Amino acid sequence: MKSLRARAVVGGMLSAVAIIFLGFTGLSSLGIRQPEQGFNDLQQRRHERVVSVVETYRATPDVLVRRMADPVFERPYSGQYWQILTPDGAILTSPSLQEMRLPAPADVEEDQTVRSLRMPDGQTVRSVGLWRQFDDGQSWHVQVASSLQGLQDSQTLFRRNLFVAFGVVTLIGIIGALLQVTLVLRPLNALRRDVARRWQGEDGLDIDDYPTEVVPLVTDINTLLERNREISSRARRQAADLAHAIKTPSAIVRNELERLLQDGQDVQISIDALDRLDAQLNRSFARIRAGGGHAERPVVLDVSAALDRMVRAFGALASNAERDFTSDVAPDLRARIEQSDFDEIVGNLLDNAMKWSKSRVCVTAKAQDDLVVIEVADDGNGIADADMARVTESGRRLDTAKPGTGLGLAIVKDLIHAYGGALTLDRSETKGGLSATVTLKASLRPRS
Amino acid sequence: MRILVAEDEQVIAQQIKSVLSSEGRVVDIARDGTEAQFLGETEPYDMIILDIGLPQRDGITVLKHWRGMGVQTPVMLLTARDGWSERVDGLDAGADDYLTKPFHMPELSARVRAMIRRQAGRASPIFSKDEISFDTRSNQVMVSGVPTNLTSQEIAVLSYLFHNAGRLVSRMELSEHIYQYDGDRDSNTIAVFVNRLRKKLGNDLIETVRGRGYVIKAAA
Repeated sequence: MKSLRARAVVGGMLSAVAIIFLGFTGLSSLGIRQPEQGFNDLQQRRHERVVSVVETYRATPDVLVRRMADPVFERPYSGQYWQILTPDGAILTSPSLQEMRLPAPADVEEDQTVRSLRMPDGQTVRSVGLWRQFDDGQSWHVQVASSLQGLQDSQTLFRRNLFVAFGVVTLIGIIGALLQVTLVLRPLNALRRDVARRWQGEDGLDIDDYPTEVVPLVTDINTLLERNREISSRARRQAADLAHAIKTPSAIVRNELERLLQDGQDVQISIDALDRLDAQLNRSFARIRAGGGHAERPVVLDVSAALDRMVRAFGALASNAERDFTSDVAPDLRARIEQSDFDEIVGNLLDNAMKWSKSRVCVTAKAQDDLVVIEVADDGNGIADADMARVTESGRRLDTAKPGTGLGLAIVKDLIHAYGGALTLDRSETKGGLSATVTLKASLRPRS
Repeated sequence: MRILVAEDEQVIAQQIKSVLSSEGRVVDIARDGTEAQFLGETEPYDMIILDIGLPQRDGITVLKHWRGMGVQTPVMLLTARDGWSERVDGLDAGADDYLTKPFHMPELSARVRAMIRRQAGRASPIFSKDEISFDTRSNQVMVSGVPTNLTSQEIAVLSYLFHNAGRLVSRMELSEHIYQYDGDRDSNTIAVFVNRLRKKLGNDLIETVRGRGYVIKAAA
């Protein structure tokens, strides 16, 4: 059983069942045997009294019957009876017996006989009978019987009450166990949420927020979080360093080859090979960068501020290219995305727009429901409908006359998908050229 | 036109220098961030090519320092990093353009040309006055449609005066923009270059303001 909740619930249930079972049997035997004992004791005392009356007044049966006068024996069918068998075979009975008779005793027996009898009126009685031999040699049989009805009724009532009481106790126990489990597991649930929230960026988990028992786990998670961040940032750094290390010698070789080409040397084959090498490297590094983004959970980025920065930066390029560059960015837009990936997405889109526009480029950003919608539009020729789908393929260049790797839109698409967003290409309604729309899931303002 | 190339990779720095020199530009090379920052701050460059990954002080730090000091020289960043983040950092710090390594030399010289032209507030790459025209792309000078051969120093003087057309340029300023940092600056040789230019292009193009300097008036 892997679930702590299930373990705690099942464990709690099992122990509750055991406790309830033991309690129920214990209490019920106590509550049933005790009245039975009392009943037996009372009957025994009545029998002893009848025997002592017989002993005293056996010479005068009339007096004997009168001396027996006890209200419980007077009322007809009261459930309390006595019956005496005299040595001469006469039977004396309590008025309550009326015409009924208790069964005759067996032959002379020394010991007291206890029997359960069924009376003609349907009652079950417990009868105590005794042959009593007096000093004069006479043997009297003294029998006292009591109805079990009252005892059984009270026992049934007791059992029913006990059952209801334990039912209520069980119910309270189950609810209590569930509450307890929830309460005990609450720090663990909080831990899970915290880990999910703080997986990347921000600080680790604060061990003071958790119970002592999970502190070692929290410490381990902090170590893991830290290590994960280190590994992913190291991988990115190494990829960037590698790119840097390869590009400089590549640039040197290229410049030398071009100089040789200008001097009339036949080095075109080498230049073509270098072109392929550079393109392949660019592609690989782009993939490394794009792939590094979604292994981790990024912090919430202030999209508005990041876009403002891009707009400032592209302002210089726009004026170089003599483009009219406008922006309309709503404040307080937030999304969970790595800043470098965001720069990559918007940088590529703006770069494309600058390259293909005739004179105007426009970037807008706004919140729409729970999305952040960023649109980059230009007044260039746009893309033919037939080419729209193909243009985001890796290495696809619709116009090979302008410089480019053919990777821009493919990288943009990969990155956006890695963050669960979408890229839509369309004809710009306001500018007439290409409109590239990026939608990202909006994040709420982070808790301060 | 005097250009600072701040690049720690000496082979690339020399390649850039040789291409730009062949186009009549004067090039100083800085090998690290500290040297670049000092030169950019103290010498009157017409533009700066700045590698981001410089030792000692990185290019973006140097650029921010210049802009903070009020140095408005146009700056083109060289970056070997692929990502947009670094380029945007640079542009946001006040760079005017960027070029990603590995780059094609013709692209670099075209960008340099365009940047110097924009600095002069001009859209066209061709300057002309009367029957004389100067194409900044090829450094070709034509007199009444006939090509004229000029030495690289002559082109440097002519180019600087055309880019600052309508403004009086002192001999000192001229020498600062056509000689490199450790070059032998002799403002008397400026007069020699101007005289040679007058012989080749006629006396009307460059006017002398006695004791103060030279000016090309109202070029188109």
